[in-house]
Amino acid sequence: MNKIWIPLFSVFVLLAFSWLYLVNHKQAGTVTLQFQARVGDKPLEFNQTRYANPGGEGKFQIRHLQLYLSNIQLQGKEQRFQVADSYHLARFDNAAKSYLLELHDVPYDKYSKVNISIGVDESANASIMARGDLDPNNRMAWNWQVGYKFILFEGTLAHAQKIQPLVYHVGFSENLKALQFHLPEPITPGSAPVNFDVDILAMFSSSVNINMAALPTVKFDRNDARLIAENYASMITLSADDSAYSALEKSEP
Amino acid sequence: MSKRVLPVILVIVSSLLLLGLAYSFFWPTAVRPTPLSAFTAPFVYGHFQIPADNPLTKEGVALGRLLFYDKRLSADNTVSCATCHLQRLAFTDGKARSVGVSGKELAFNSMSLANTLWGPQHFFWDGRAQSLEEQALIPIQHPDEMAQDLDQLIDELTADEHYLKLFRQAYGEINAKNIAFAIASFERTLVSANSKYDQFLRGELKLSADEELGRKLFMAHPDVKASLRGGNCIDCHSQFLTSGFNAKFDGFANNGLDSDSNLKPGLEKITKMKADRGKFKVPTLRNIALTAPYMHDGRFATLRQVLDHYDQGIKVSATLSPLIMEATNQPSDSEQLQISLNLSEDEKLAIIAFLHTLTDYTFIDNENFSNPFPIKRVPHE
Repeated sequence: MNKIWIPLFSVFVLLAFSWLYLVNHKQAGTVTLQFQARVGDKPLEFNQTRYANPGGEGKFQIRHLQLYLSNIQLQGKEQRFQVADSYHLARFDNAAKSYLLELHDVPYDKYSKVNISIGVDESANASIMARGDLDPNNRMAWNWQVGYKFILFEGTLAHAQKIQPLVYHVGFSENLKALQFHLPEPITPGSAPVNFDVDILAMFSSSVNINMAALPTVKFDRNDARLIAENYASMITLSADDSAYSALEKSEP
Repeated sequence: MSKRVLPVILVIVSSLLLLGLAYSFFWPTAVRPTPLSAFTAPFVYGHFQIPADNPLTKEGVALGRLLFYDKRLSADNTVSCATCHLQRLAFTDGKARSVGVSGKELAFNSMSLANTLWGPQHFFWDGRAQSLEEQALIPIQHPDEMAQDLDQLIDELTADEHYLKLFRQAYGEINAKNIAFAIASFERTLVSANSKYDQFLRGELKLSADEELGRKLFMAHPDVKASLRGGNCIDCHSQFLTSGFNAKFDGFANNGLDSDSNLKPGLEKITKMKADRGKFKVPTLRNIALTAPYMHDGRFATLRQVLDHYDQGIKVSATLSPLIMEATNQPSDSEQLQISLNLSEDEKLAIIAFLHTLTDYTFIDNENFSNPFPIKRVPHE
């Protein structure tokens, strides 16, 4: 009679430990961040003269666009997860016009904040060490004395029967912009992607509306670079919801 | 019962293990080439990738070198890879456009084979091969280049005991894939990293005043507003490699050689995108003083002509690089778009002086890259 309790008790202990394990040792996994590009209220299309100059006459087209995202951190209830070698070159020249970033081996937690910087921190910017997506021989490197372009935008502006080249290469360590996003619902590894909107037009029309005809290029002039940087600081936002973006797609002719 | 089964199982398992060992040691197709351990590259060149299915091995590279210099790779046994890629010219041929077995001038200028591990991993001027392995078989079969039938080539090589042995040691059988793998492996070892510029980067010497001015101009996109003069070279030619950029098709550009009416397709042929018309591969400038004539069709005979082109000779077209359109050292007040770098005579000469620091004599004299023929044959046992 007594003997029956031994296996029953063992089973109970086993179940209790499995339950505790499942609760406390939930699996590390992948967190996906998705960055969807748009240009104001229009979808991003390369090589098409279709976007209005925000501060003046004419329409512009985008030939090339790349930007560095860096220092990505997830803030959870228990911990702060810092992505290793967090230098990510975002580009949108694909069918979905989006950049997908998968963060692997994220420890289990309920994360409610995401930190992302636009640009490259000062120590990495002054180094020729290749790490993450930093590569001193890539298109974003100026030269080893100047560092990296944080954002590269090249295109043309058509106005008054004229085609004007547009070159916005913005860098310099002071233009690193650290952003923090509060997620409406906390995420756990393995849950659905976190969706961000990247509004390219915000580079030219957030804090200041820029007339591209008057300021067609920004490179090494520090005031001009700061002007664009103040603008790009607000180009990334959390997507309100997915339906908002599909509505935008539909509004296109 | 179980006491009798256990030894039987043990005997079966251990015999299987022994058989497996014997199989892997004595089976003729088991190829165990030696990994190339001495292979190094400068830190500043950054990451490179060797395909997992074709690692660099001593045997593969040696075989590739032999094939590279073997005229039997062409239909009439008169042309080898080295016919259009001469080591003393940094693996180019000095011709505007190369000539193969048909005697007809090809569409393109022969490209240098230095540092193919870096820069765009799309090969040929129009990027039509997506790996060195894919690239290697194309000139062999092209009717105007080597015009060789691959099956016939395999027969020819199979008839040669020396090749049979070398293939067996490096890859196994003689087939098209392994021919391509061997040639690609040899090409990957052609690293040029000991020019005067490299020695400067390693802190071993100082550049002359002219060379240093040229270097600074090379590495700068001009910005009149910030009083920065520049030659605009680095916008397409990366700072250390001096090649085009590696990612996607970033290493292809329209550098203003032709106007829309006679713009060649270039990259458009591969991507089928109008926006890529007239874009060609940005070549490495390593050993550029040795690799004249210049551009995809060899239209410029001298570096001076190249500098004059970028300074004053740009032709506008729909896909012209915005960086070339925009770059100037002295803006004009004219309302019309005038494309000109407006470099001074001294500045042009300085850039040419810097380009000469990219010549690597260790590279063109390296015996590991030279013609291995005639082969000293070891008598058969």
